[in-house]
Amino acid sequence: MTLRRRVVDWVLAALLLVIPLVVLRSSLRAPEEVSTVDEAVLRVSAPLQAGVSWLVDGVGSLWSRYVGLIDTEDENRELRAENERLRRDLAAERRRAFDVEALEEMVGIKQRTPADTAGARVIAGELSPFYRVVRIRIDRGAPEVSVGMPVITSAGLVGRISKIYGGHSEVLLTTDTQSAVDVVIRRSGARGVLVGEGAADAYRCRLEWLERSSEPDGEAPVQVGDIVETSGLGAAFPAGITVGHVASVVDKDYGMFQDVTVKPAVDFGQLRGVTVLLAPPPPPDPDAEKKRRSESAFGLRPY
Amino acid sequence: MRIATCVLVTYVLLVVLGAVWMRLGFLAEAKPAAAVMAAAYLGLTARSGVAGAVGGAVVIGYLADLIGGTPVGLTAVVCGVICLIGHLIQRRILVRGLGATLGFAFFVGVSAQLMVVLLRAVFSQPMAPPLRELWFVLLSGVATAVIGPAVLRILRRIDAAFARTHRERDAALEGIAP
Repeated sequence: MTLRRRVVDWVLAALLLVIPLVVLRSSLRAPEEVSTVDEAVLRVSAPLQAGVSWLVDGVGSLWSRYVGLIDTEDENRELRAENERLRRDLAAERRRAFDVEALEEMVGIKQRTPADTAGARVIAGELSPFYRVVRIRIDRGAPEVSVGMPVITSAGLVGRISKIYGGHSEVLLTTDTQSAVDVVIRRSGARGVLVGEGAADAYRCRLEWLERSSEPDGEAPVQVGDIVETSGLGAAFPAGITVGHVASVVDKDYGMFQDVTVKPAVDFGQLRGVTVLLAPPPPPDPDAEKKRRSESAFGLRPY
Repeated sequence: MRIATCVLVTYVLLVVLGAVWMRLGFLAEAKPAAAVMAAAYLGLTARSGVAGAVGGAVVIGYLADLIGGTPVGLTAVVCGVICLIGHLIQRRILVRGLGATLGFAFFVGVSAQLMVVLLRAVFSQPMAPPLRELWFVLLSGVATAVIGPAVLRILRRIDAAFARTHRERDAALEGIAP
C-alpha cells in the first residue's frame, strides 16, 4: 500500500469516526427525534426481535414446564409432608379452640347461675350403633358431686348424675329411657313429664301426661316449637332450665293426653364441657323488701 | 463483502442476545459489549485498509444503539475507536486459545464501558456515583468475556468462508489471521 493511499485510508477512517460523534451530539440534544434511517432500521428490527423473543420464551417455557420439573418430585414430597403437619396443627388448634369455647361457656353459666356449680369435662361417651351419644362420663366424682345432681350447659338441661366411680361420674341423659323430668310448657304453663325415648338414631324425648285442652275452641296447651323447661317440682331439677322444644304433636281423638315429641336443646354429640349444679339456689328472702324495726330489749331502746 | 457479512451477522447476534440476555437473572444488569467485540475483531483482522473496518464497526455500533436504545452514535463512536485500536495492535497481540480470548474480551468490555462513561462526561450526561459506574464497568467486562469466545468463533467462521486459499482459511479458524 502506497503512502498516499495509507494517508487517504486513515483520513477516511477519521472522518468515519467524526460522523457518529456528530450524530451523537445531535441525538443527545434532541433524543425524541427519529431519523428516516433509524425508523427504517427499527421497522426491520422489530419483527425480528419479536420473533426471537417468542422463540426464547417458547424454549424457556419448555424448559420450565418439562426439563425444570426434575426436582418437582422431591419438592412435592416435602410440600406434602409440610401440608400434613400443618393439617395436624390446625386440627389440634381447632380442638383447643373448641375446648376454650366450652370452658368460656362453663364460666358464663357459673356467673349466671345462683346455685353452687362445678364445671366438668366430658371424658367419654357411650355411642349407639348410629353414633348417637347415649351416655356420657365426666371428670368429677365423689365427694364433690353426688347421684341425682342436675347437669346443664348454656343450651339447656343435659341430664343428671346417675353413677359415681371415684373421681368420675356417669350422666344419664334426658334422652335415656330411664330419665324422667317434670316439665312445663313455657308459653301455656301446661305440665307433663319428659321421658327419654332411647332412640338409637336420634336425640328425642316424649312428653307424657300432658293434658288436652278441655274446651273445643280453647288455646292448645302445646304447639310445635313451644319451649319446654323444667318445672322445679320433685326437687330433682331447679325450675326454668330449658330442656328442648316441641317437635311434633299428635292430637288424638280419644283419651285425655296427647302424644308430644320433644327435641332436646342440647346437642349431645358436641358436648365437651358441662356444669353440675351442686346445690339448689338459696330461696329468696321474703322479708328482703320490708323495713325491719328493732325491738326493745329489756325495756331499753338503742340510742 | 466480508465486512458486510460480519455486520449483518453481528446485527442478528445483537437481536438474539438482546432477547436472551434480559432473561438471565444473575447477569441481566450487565450489558455484554457484543458490538464492540465485533468491532475489535474487524480492527484486528483489517487486511487492505482500516477505513473499511472502521466503517463496518461504526455501522455495527449504530445498529447496536438502535437495538439497545442507547443514544444514537454512542456505541458507534466506541466501536469505531475500538476498531482503530484493534488495528493498531494487530501485529502485537495474538488472540488465540480460550484464556487469551477471555482476557481480550474482558479488556474490550471494560475499555468500551470506560469510553461510554468518558463520552457521557464529555457530553454532560447524568452519571451514577463513581463506585456504581465502576461496578458497571467491571460487570460489562465480565459479560463481554462470557460472550466473547462465541462472537469471535462466529466471526472467524465468516472469515474462513471468505478465505481465498486453504492457508488463509486455516489461519482464520486458528485465530492467527491476517
